Amino acid sequence: MNTQFVGQPIRRVDGRLKVTGGARYAADFNLDEHVYAVIVNATVGLGRIVSIDQAAATRLPGVIAVISHLNAPRLAYHPHKGAIDPATGERLHVLQGDQVRFYGQPVAVVVADTLDQAERAAAALSITYAAKRPAVDPSASDTTEIMAEASKGPKAYYPADTARGDADAALATAPVRIDAFYDTARENHNPMEPHATVARWDGDRVTLWSKTQFVVNEQAEIAAIFGIPTENVQVISPFVGGGFGTTLRTWSHVTIAALAARQVGRPVKLALTRKQMFFTTGHRPRSLQRVALGATPDGKLTSIVHEGRGETSRYEEFIEALTAGTGFMYSCPNVRTQYRIVPLDTGTPNHMRGPGEAQGMFALECAMDELSYELGIDPIELRRRNEPEIDESTGKPFSSRSLMPCYDRGAELFGWAQRNPAPRSMRDDREYVGMGCASATYPVLFSPTRARARLLADGTAEIEVAASDMGPGTYTSMTQVAADALGLPLDNVRFSLGRSDFPPAPPHGGSQTMASVGSAIRAACAAVLEAAARNREVRPIEAEGSAQRDPEVAARFSMHSFGAVFAEVGIDSDVGTIRVRRALGVYGAGRIVNPRLALSQCTGGMVGGIGMALMERTMLDARDGRLVNAHMADYLMPVNLDIDRLEAHFVDEEDPHVNPLGVKGLGEIALVGMAPAIANAIFHATGTRLRNLPISIENVLTA
Amino acid sequence: MREVVRFLQNGRVVELADVRPTETVLDYLRLRRGLVGTKEGCGEGDCGACTVAVGRLVEGRLVYQPVNSCIQFLGMLDGAELVTVEDLAENGQLHPVQQAMVDHHGSQCGFCTPGFVMSLFTLYHAPERQATRKTVTDWLAGNLCRCTGYRPIVDAALEACFNEIDDAFSRRADESIAALQAMEQDTRDVFIPQAEGGFFAAPASLDALAELAERHPQATLIAGATDVGLWVTKQLRELPQVIWLGRVRDLDRIEETPGGVLMGAGTTFAAAHPYMARIDPDLGELWRRIGSRQVRASGTVCGNIANGSPIGDSPPALIALGATIELRRGEDSRTLPLEAFFIDYGKQDRAPGEIVTGLYVPRLDPNHAFRCFKISKRFDQDISSVLCALRVTLADGTITEARLAYGGMAATPKRAEIAELALIGARPDRPSTWAAALKALADDFAPISDMRASDAYRKEVARALLAKALVEIGGTPDERTRVSGLRSGEVDHAA
Repeated sequence: MNTQFVGQPIRRVDGRLKVTGGARYAADFNLDEHVYAVIVNATVGLGRIVSIDQAAATRLPGVIAVISHLNAPRLAYHPHKGAIDPATGERLHVLQGDQVRFYGQPVAVVVADTLDQAERAAAALSITYAAKRPAVDPSASDTTEIMAEASKGPKAYYPADTARGDADAALATAPVRIDAFYDTARENHNPMEPHATVARWDGDRVTLWSKTQFVVNEQAEIAAIFGIPTENVQVISPFVGGGFGTTLRTWSHVTIAALAARQVGRPVKLALTRKQMFFTTGHRPRSLQRVALGATPDGKLTSIVHEGRGETSRYEEFIEALTAGTGFMYSCPNVRTQYRIVPLDTGTPNHMRGPGEAQGMFALECAMDELSYELGIDPIELRRRNEPEIDESTGKPFSSRSLMPCYDRGAELFGWAQRNPAPRSMRDDREYVGMGCASATYPVLFSPTRARARLLADGTAEIEVAASDMGPGTYTSMTQVAADALGLPLDNVRFSLGRSDFPPAPPHGGSQTMASVGSAIRAACAAVLEAAARNREVRPIEAEGSAQRDPEVAARFSMHSFGAVFAEVGIDSDVGTIRVRRALGVYGAGRIVNPRLALSQCTGGMVGGIGMALMERTMLDARDGRLVNAHMADYLMPVNLDIDRLEAHFVDEEDPHVNPLGVKGLGEIALVGMAPAIANAIFHATGTRLRNLPISIENVLTA
Repeated sequence: MREVVRFLQNGRVVELADVRPTETVLDYLRLRRGLVGTKEGCGEGDCGACTVAVGRLVEGRLVYQPVNSCIQFLGMLDGAELVTVEDLAENGQLHPVQQAMVDHHGSQCGFCTPGFVMSLFTLYHAPERQATRKTVTDWLAGNLCRCTGYRPIVDAALEACFNEIDDAFSRRADESIAALQAMEQDTRDVFIPQAEGGFFAAPASLDALAELAERHPQATLIAGATDVGLWVTKQLRELPQVIWLGRVRDLDRIEETPGGVLMGAGTTFAAAHPYMARIDPDLGELWRRIGSRQVRASGTVCGNIANGSPIGDSPPALIALGATIELRRGEDSRTLPLEAFFIDYGKQDRAPGEIVTGLYVPRLDPNHAFRCFKISKRFDQDISSVLCALRVTLADGTITEARLAYGGMAATPKRAEIAELALIGARPDRPSTWAAALKALADDFAPISDMRASDAYRKEVARALLAKALVEIGGTPDERTRVSGLRSGEVDHAA
């Protein structure tokens, strides 16, 4: 493999566009004669719409249309499920009936000449409801847990139940035991860019300039909803201002934009407000978990029990990897996992950075830390004593696993040896200081992808894939891969993405873009070089290539990334304020295509983990399902000074099995492990074990 | 009378007659001008994605401040220079802050980048600044990034923002200053009439302001609009009549008198910062954490008082210091102690048509000791859970007078009068003598629980902060004192 550029800290090819304001995000597209749409959201959490009085709104200047279930056309809503849609249930059919399933559900859309006019008219709509009290708290007695259809059976991707040995019996007889409950908050992705769609119809064809991490799915979904051929939908999404999973699905606002544009016969721009994003663009579900560990006095695990519950909506069964890491993290003869979901009167959750792993590993890794104190064994040493030789959940060897090398390197860089193991033993003047660590893991995904490569007469090349770049640097890393594969200078390669008429790519999520798109580009480049060698006259000449995981390799190996995360916190001894003094992550993630991109992506993920640990929580009012803090003043995310010192490092890891590039992906794992490392550090600082996220200053002070 | 708004952009004077009273700068840029480089992230001044630079003359110098364009009204640009991300590159050559952002990988998704670039641009042009990480992180506390972990952005700032100032803006500064001075010399009152009696007004003198406010008692007065902006963008409130204080001559004056600091109602938090830090380092430290650089650049101290928020950051500290405010209605002026201004939740002692014209903050006497602490979940740019400020008068180590005020403990910023009484006669260096004062706080306050803090936590922290203040006052002067940082630590004086 030619690696002139792969592995190099190449500068972002899109850096200039971004610093000049030239990068165009969905809401930045202005079409001739476009008008503005503003969604009206339900102000009850459950019930039905009794009446909509639009007289006042319609009279306002500039108003072109008020569309609700009373006058909206019936949409086809043909069956369609993308790779990221819940397997069971049916998506929200928007503006098709009087039923209100959750607070903030779109119930009408107003179209007007200007945004200001549309906003005013939206506020002037008078809607009455017959409201019922919604169930929004999965820990409340009025909810019932269920086994998700898609998690039933041993072959399920996220099985409801797994067992090896007899974990409960082993737990009962274990000489040392930990048994605790953990509660992680509902979170919203909150990328900096609000969702937006600009829709324009030309006859029965529609073009959508839309924020999406999955352009071909948005195309297929809108085609299914409107009952038109897939090729009649074109999705254009050159830049995505952050996603973290929220734009994997095609949410109701995209449908509404297209519907409104068709109704008024003009292009429509629809941008969600920050508040509206909290209503209808998914969320990380709250989790309620129990982890019980049994061990021998010398620290060998004899039992792991991990029971987890996550939220879902009433109309779809969202499942994720809540207990997925538990089976293979540590060597243990007796393991039982159980995963259930709790239907609530909310919108459907969706994948958020490290979906499931982030919450599941929080519980498991806090429990491991608790066990280490119970045993009086250093937490890293405890993990070393339980390091498995193979994936004991499947019996397969790991394609590569660098957990202990990550811990060893991290312990050295972090100065773990300076840690006094006793809780509440370290002080820096008025601050209690604590150091904690935790493991991280995420699977190595690789989905079928196609790519197109074209060689031009001037010696340059064009590469096209319907991929996305929500920030990690797809534009840059794929240019590196293609330049190497073609033997061209970087400047001679132009990589384009974000169009649904390009060859299809999998969702830009699950840390699989580098593996999947990168491998397809290599294949396409090889194909075009071959074609060019056969035919030296014709230029431009193009070829497509594809890549997917070899099922035989997949059957042989268990493929995951691993990492070790360290955190040091300072707790004000008087008022309990918590400060992350420093944090460090070391990851075994295969080949690193661009160290600068990788470093930045990891530190960003770690900041997300700090948010999960200490700040981020979407709060619902139990009376009506109202989102109490659906804005940035009260949904806090870390800002500069919350992060004193952050470092990410990578151990050398060669993995020939995962994919042709040997990459394992970074986006998700960078967030996983941060929250438990912080919680463990807080215990070390204070001697108080806090098992609910986010940990707030009052937990520390009043615990 | 002038019926247009005028500002400078790219060396040219822009004149607008069709200015709606609450049209934001961001909407003007994106919707009217099609300048979409400036982004909307939150619409409430919390994320900084919409940051633009606004240049104004300060004592003859051109000073650029970062401004959240999403909550700044267009008319407030009158007399200023507007700079957006599209304006920085010169003949295809990136501005030094842009180049550094490229070189250090300061962008990931890039959506926050234009806002960061503009904040960095104002730091690049800041008159005095120390090349430290702290300077940078303070400056950027109002810009959120969800992708990078900030490190590359801070590195870019350290590389680009502390060199000799040399860009297109510095090179044409003389012309820009001349253009701004020419606009400043036009002292006509601005009045842009709207349908049905609405208007955007920017009077140029205090007399004109007082007369206008008295004539239109229902008009909304704005100074920095960092709060009123949210009424419009979040609550969609109609404000047909808006009177902006920003052009009133000398209303932004701030001066040190023998006894204290006197500031006009137009004084921004940023302008007041060095004066407050000279009164007491704790006050400077508090100022550093009020809102963000963007909010402090626009928001005014008197505005923070006039809107009467129970969790406004400055009032408790100013009350403890014994500050007084000055109000005027028509020809009549009056002065009252700041604590008397806050009557109840959302209710202040201000008659319709009356305006807050100024604030006086007494300096500390040698026998005074002062402490104030802000507790919030996030260090930067977060709303206080509890804010505590204490000024005691000491004679031979014994407290003879105490002024103790809290934010976040009641419906208004409020003095703890029972605890204050209990403090008289106590000695800070003898904790047993002030135990009664700690206890008395329970009689002073019955705080509520909300999403920021529970009542139990507020009570606990109120006690802890008073204890902390007294321990520090009774301890050695160089003792480490705060939630973060040293009492003797540096304060960023760059305005």
